[in-house]
Amino acid sequence: MLQVNHIYKAVTTAEGPLQVLSNISFSLSKGSSLAIVGASGSGKSTLLGILAGLDTATAGDVQLDGESLMNLDEEGRAALRAKMVGFVFQSFQLLPGLSALENVMLPLELHGRDNAKEAAEKFLKRVGLDHRLRHYPKQLSGGEQQRVAIARAFASEPSILFADEPTGNLDATTGAKIIDLLFELNQEQGTTLVLVTHESRLANRCQQRLELEGGEVVVSAEAEKVDLAAETE
Amino acid sequence: MLSWRLLTRNWRSGELKLLASALMLAVAVVSGIGIFTERLEAALVKESNSFLGADRLVRSTQPIGSQLIEMANNAGIEQAQTIQFASMTFAGDDMHLASVKAVSDSYPLLGKLEVGKQAFVTDGADVKIVDHGPIAGEAWVDGRLLPLLGLNIGDILAVGEKDLIVSQVIVREPDRGDGFSLFGARVMINIADVAATEVIQPGSRISYNWLLAAEPSQLTSFLTELEPQLNEHQKLVDLESAQRGLFRTLTTGRQFLSLAATIAVLLAGLAIAIAAQQFSRRHTDQVALMKSLGAGAWRIRLLYFQQLLILAALASIVGLVAGELLQRLISYVVVSVYPVQMPGASIWPYLLGAVTGIVCLLCFALPALWHLPTIPPMKILRRDLVLTTASKLWQGLLGVVAVFVLVGLYSQDLRLTATVIVGFFCILAVAGVLALGLLSIGRQLGSRSGSSARLAWASLLRHRGQTVAQVLVFSTALMLLFVITIVRTSLIDEWRFKLPEDAPNHFLVNIAPNEVEYVSGLLAQQELKSESLFPMVRGRLLTINGELPTAEQKNKFGVLSRESNLSWSSDLPPDNEVVDGDWWPKMTMEEDQIYVSVEQSIIDGLQLKLGDSLGFSLGGLKLDAKISSVRTLNWDAMRPNFYFLFSPGALDEYAPTYLTSTYIPADKKSMLNTLLQHSPTILVVELDLIIKQIQTLTAQVSQGVELVLLLVLAAGIMVLLAAVNASMDYRLQEAGILRALGCSKRRILGSTFLEFFILGALAGVLAVFGAEVLLLGLQYWVLDTPLQAHPVIWGVGPVLGGLLVAMLGVWASRRVVTAPPMLVLREL
Repeated sequence: MLQVNHIYKAVTTAEGPLQVLSNISFSLSKGSSLAIVGASGSGKSTLLGILAGLDTATAGDVQLDGESLMNLDEEGRAALRAKMVGFVFQSFQLLPGLSALENVMLPLELHGRDNAKEAAEKFLKRVGLDHRLRHYPKQLSGGEQQRVAIARAFASEPSILFADEPTGNLDATTGAKIIDLLFELNQEQGTTLVLVTHESRLANRCQQRLELEGGEVVVSAEAEKVDLAAETE
Repeated sequence: MLSWRLLTRNWRSGELKLLASALMLAVAVVSGIGIFTERLEAALVKESNSFLGADRLVRSTQPIGSQLIEMANNAGIEQAQTIQFASMTFAGDDMHLASVKAVSDSYPLLGKLEVGKQAFVTDGADVKIVDHGPIAGEAWVDGRLLPLLGLNIGDILAVGEKDLIVSQVIVREPDRGDGFSLFGARVMINIADVAATEVIQPGSRISYNWLLAAEPSQLTSFLTELEPQLNEHQKLVDLESAQRGLFRTLTTGRQFLSLAATIAVLLAGLAIAIAAQQFSRRHTDQVALMKSLGAGAWRIRLLYFQQLLILAALASIVGLVAGELLQRLISYVVVSVYPVQMPGASIWPYLLGAVTGIVCLLCFALPALWHLPTIPPMKILRRDLVLTTASKLWQGLLGVVAVFVLVGLYSQDLRLTATVIVGFFCILAVAGVLALGLLSIGRQLGSRSGSSARLAWASLLRHRGQTVAQVLVFSTALMLLFVITIVRTSLIDEWRFKLPEDAPNHFLVNIAPNEVEYVSGLLAQQELKSESLFPMVRGRLLTINGELPTAEQKNKFGVLSRESNLSWSSDLPPDNEVVDGDWWPKMTMEEDQIYVSVEQSIIDGLQLKLGDSLGFSLGGLKLDAKISSVRTLNWDAMRPNFYFLFSPGALDEYAPTYLTSTYIPADKKSMLNTLLQHSPTILVVELDLIIKQIQTLTAQVSQGVELVLLLVLAAGIMVLLAAVNASMDYRLQEAGILRALGCSKRRILGSTFLEFFILGALAGVLAVFGAEVLLLGLQYWVLDTPLQAHPVIWGVGPVLGGLLVAMLGVWASRRVVTAPPMLVLREL
């Protein structure tokens, strides 16, 4: 599903070029889950952005379902994201002016789905928010907002879901419920899951684990029944 | 349609409201002013043309040829003719040299006649308004003719050889405005009776007037055809040549309305640009999210473009409707105060209103949104990512182009456009630098003041860039408001000054020296204010430096071919200004030498200079005088004006009569009967109706100007509100945190008030400076009025700016102190 070969990422700063990621390679099969862990500034979010096609690598290649992201321009990557990628963000990224229902409908509408409303309602029901359809983000608790964000991510039925610190803004109990929901849906839909987290409890539930430090992979762990091939030079 | 759905959601979330309101206001103000101006202008031109009794007239010393009349018939031009001449009129044994005006059946083409059955009535139920002159066999006469000839309505009056029945007293005659003549009372007859009077003989001094009226375009094309065919005896007269004072009132009124529209466009544009920037800022996240969800850049651009287009169309429609309602309201107010028939407007101001909406949005809003799709999708993960926005230079340039196009379209006056825009941008640049300077001075002052003030300065300095931008926006809006208010005030003052309420409205002419005492006594008894009595002798300029004028000079200058009113005075009359030479007391006068002060246009036209000798004939007696000074006159003031004023006592031996002007209110007009019965040879020239007409017209323009000013003020407040709103996000957040930390409501409100007061006051200082510069430009290049500063705004401007902005600021941030801090913080 996801093939990553020798990814490098450098950015220009006031002090000169800075290597954010160095030579990262691994692969992930369909339906499996990967946790990217590491301290703040280790390059987790940058890597997630590159994997999802939100950003480009300085060198190396990422293949999503066999299609190389490096050969695509921004429009091409956008089309690919539209087809197969879903997101869950740490700060939820709900549009404040839209109701819960409208937030979930948005990607479906962008993809031109006819039954956007019905599908959105179905997924909001699935995350237990069928009584909060018309509520605006500011009227929802943090956990509820993240559930809306999860409904939005799964509503477009993506092949692969990227989650950036999905429980980072939540308390432990709520966070645990969100994790449960995420994995339940992951199972139900057979979605491949890549998540960035610094929470070991969440990382442990993933089948694979990639630990970054200073932009390099320092630990790659393969859980049972998981095919992980992480290389470091 | 997705863009429609997104639009409705954006609308509901309140993000579009400011943009839409600014857009609607732009269209409404601009179309409202446009439609109203066009209607008012058409009404005023019609109204003022009624001073001619027509749109144009051809004045001739010979009858108008049938060929010209045929040509006008073919062109579908409405026509009327009048013939004016002096004739003796008789009633029994009494006689009077009357000013006869014979009118055709279609007279007047514009304006109405007011008639009554008694002498000296001005209004009320006794006055009848008619749109025609007398029928054949009847005569309508001036009120003063009744006591002069001992006439009553229904009596017979003979004009030359023709007996006519006096059927009406003329109260108002629309085209009587072209000055006054020393001929006697008006007798109006039908043109069909002229031949029977047998008054017109070869050599008689007759004025033939050919009155023309038509739709503007039709008239213009006819006049183009007509003008080459007029001979040297025929002169085309329009309002400008007939009524200089009135024409100037109209021109300045029109210029003000153009300026108001220009400023309204600038303000509305500014409000749209600010609202669009804010909208764009708030949509950064939405776009990043949409991109992460797989929407391509062009898709997003198209979605926003469609939303803007729909918004522009809807806002334009609502704006046009509002503009229409607005102009109806203004027209209604104007008409209810001063009845005037306002014709409908053309399609042009409506189209312009709609175009304004689209142009404003494309040029002010689109540049702010254009860069949105270039936001990297990675922004969704990395909040700290710095965005490269569309080049500010390009945004600025587009804004300038838009302003040029709109202002030019609106004012249709290149000079006005250039003055306002160049002034505007120069001031903006200087103001930017000054704002930074003032801020750093303020920081030092602020550090020594109380806690609210310190908090306010700290906040202003933390957001230095935004502060400067806001000061610039505030100062621009305040500057434009100061300019428009001052221009309006000085215009209205100028008009009022020209014709004050108690401006002299009657001339008493031909007062014999032995009647002077009686007249003065009567005026004093009636408590009437009058100008001093001027002695007057009729005389003709015969020679210049001993030489007779050429035929060409005689043709060109009336003073050489007819008698003028000559006078002398020891004091310089009011409104006269000596521009060359000296007035009597300042000059050394040779004994036995008579001096004369001459009006400037005569000096220029006849190429005279100080010291030249002028020879006059006064009733056959010769008089030589040396030119000692040159004077300018104010023809707008209703006072006796003389081309030639002699040194004191110079005309004593030429049997002068006296002349004065006085203000007689309507309720005292009947004193004229007493006067004329005692001294029947005195001529009373009634200007009260003309003055009333001019005052009404001026009042109409003033009323329009006042209401338009209100609209512009609304646009200005809108800009201020938009700018205050644009900074609300961070202000609310900071205030929310302060509240959470236990800061009292009073202190937060105090610091918010102070912060905005400082901003507004800084802007006020800059605005005063900018307004003065812009006003100087306008005075010099556009309005053609004397250059002057306006010290009153120097003090008021900053305080007013501070208070206005502070009140808007506190009002916009009231939520911070009324809602629980938790709610405020959560919503941000």
